[in-house]
Amino acid sequence: MDLYTFLYDLATGPLLWISFLTFIIGSLFRAGLYIMASRKMDKVTHEHFSLKYVFLGLVRWILPINRSVKKNPVFTILGYIFHICLIVVPIWYVGHISLWEDSRFGWTWTAIPDEWADYMTLTFLAIAVFFLLRRIFSKDIRLISTFSDYLLLVVTALPFLTGYFLSHGTLENVSFFGENMELIHMLCGELMLILIPFTKLSHFILFFFSRGATAVEFGRRGYSV
Amino acid sequence: MPDEVNPQEIIGFLKPRIGARFRTWLKICSHCGICADTCHYYIANGNDPKMIPSYKVRFLVDLIKKKGKVDKEYLEKVYHTVYHECNMCRRCTLYCPFGIDIALMISLLRSLLFSQGLAPDGLVRAIENYKKFGNQMAVTEEDWVDTIEWCEEEMAEELVGLKIPIDKKGAKIMYTVNAREPMFYPQDIMEVAKIFHVAGEDWTVPRKEGWDDTNLAMFCGDIKTAKYIVQNTFKRAEELQVKQIAITE
Repeated sequence: MDLYTFLYDLATGPLLWISFLTFIIGSLFRAGLYIMASRKMDKVTHEHFSLKYVFLGLVRWILPINRSVKKNPVFTILGYIFHICLIVVPIWYVGHISLWEDSRFGWTWTAIPDEWADYMTLTFLAIAVFFLLRRIFSKDIRLISTFSDYLLLVVTALPFLTGYFLSHGTLENVSFFGENMELIHMLCGELMLILIPFTKLSHFILFFFSRGATAVEFGRRGYSV
Repeated sequence: MPDEVNPQEIIGFLKPRIGARFRTWLKICSHCGICADTCHYYIANGNDPKMIPSYKVRFLVDLIKKKGKVDKEYLEKVYHTVYHECNMCRRCTLYCPFGIDIALMISLLRSLLFSQGLAPDGLVRAIENYKKFGNQMAVTEEDWVDTIEWCEEEMAEELVGLKIPIDKKGAKIMYTVNAREPMFYPQDIMEVAKIFHVAGEDWTVPRKEGWDDTNLAMFCGDIKTAKYIVQNTFKRAEELQVKQIAITE
């Protein structure tokens, strides 16, 4: 068995399972750990807990109807678009759905049109590049940026970049990339999934707890949540 | 403050106080910079990047990473940031997509410094006064009652029948003041008495400690004394069976 076959079998077999399970179980663990630690140490959240404030806070910040959007419309709307593309393309891209259908699960659902996936991927990549340049060239953001901020932005963008190359055959004539793009794309995706629970990418789930806890704290004092 | 910093003490102080929220905030802050120009220190210092709220809590990450192994100069740097670059107004939190409460973390750092004997002299003196006299200006019970009675006498010429009821059980409102008022500005107490009198309110002031509604201990993270001060006020309110506590402007 040559290296390519080995890696391909790994990426479509065990590593696929490992990455999905790490992502799912790890994220549940993050949530569980938060709840446990919060029960023990954040008395204020539980003594004053109010679903009304939590709900209000989350709705206001998941939708662009908060004061940050009013203050920085361009940056925040780009952030919203970035996250929408990030969630929609991997789940509703037709190529991915057909893989789910062929898998042992046999799941299938309606896909978004291919052109949508293309435009959304390009939009996502453009915004990612903007975020990266902003991190490098804005002296404010450069000062507060840590290594992981740069790394995770690249890790998040890579599956989209390689996915675009793969579906358009962009680098088909470049020997190494032409032959291995599918493998590279899968490995990039798996790397991202595995990193989510261990890095600040876990904000996809911890956001709800963080914003929720602050909604309780601010709401009970009569501040804006 | 001792010259040597004891790392165990620092970690021992932080560990039981860094709850789920703090851990999460330090972990997920994406360093997006939205908080930068929500901070008045940032704007007042010509958009100085060092004033970005999320940058100011780097010390907390750092202290945990270094397991408390820092020196005195380091703590003095922390002191400078938490006292001179943030007044814990929480405006940044109103704009943070994650709702990260920077002020709460700054407050924790102030608490840590206080536990290490680092706090502004003025606040430390006030804390001593709170502990001894129950108010920040070291006003004795005798002086307090004297001042109130004197205010009442002065006012009686202007408004006949005006009273400042002390320890009136079952009154509707218990009024509390800033300890600077009996000390330097008794006219403030008189003005308020006038309003209460004309409005026909059923009010009183407590004789014993608890009448000072300032809480300077809170500002340097001396939670124990801060709690003691508030408890005094509530104790008085319960004893006098009042419905409301009013605080001075």
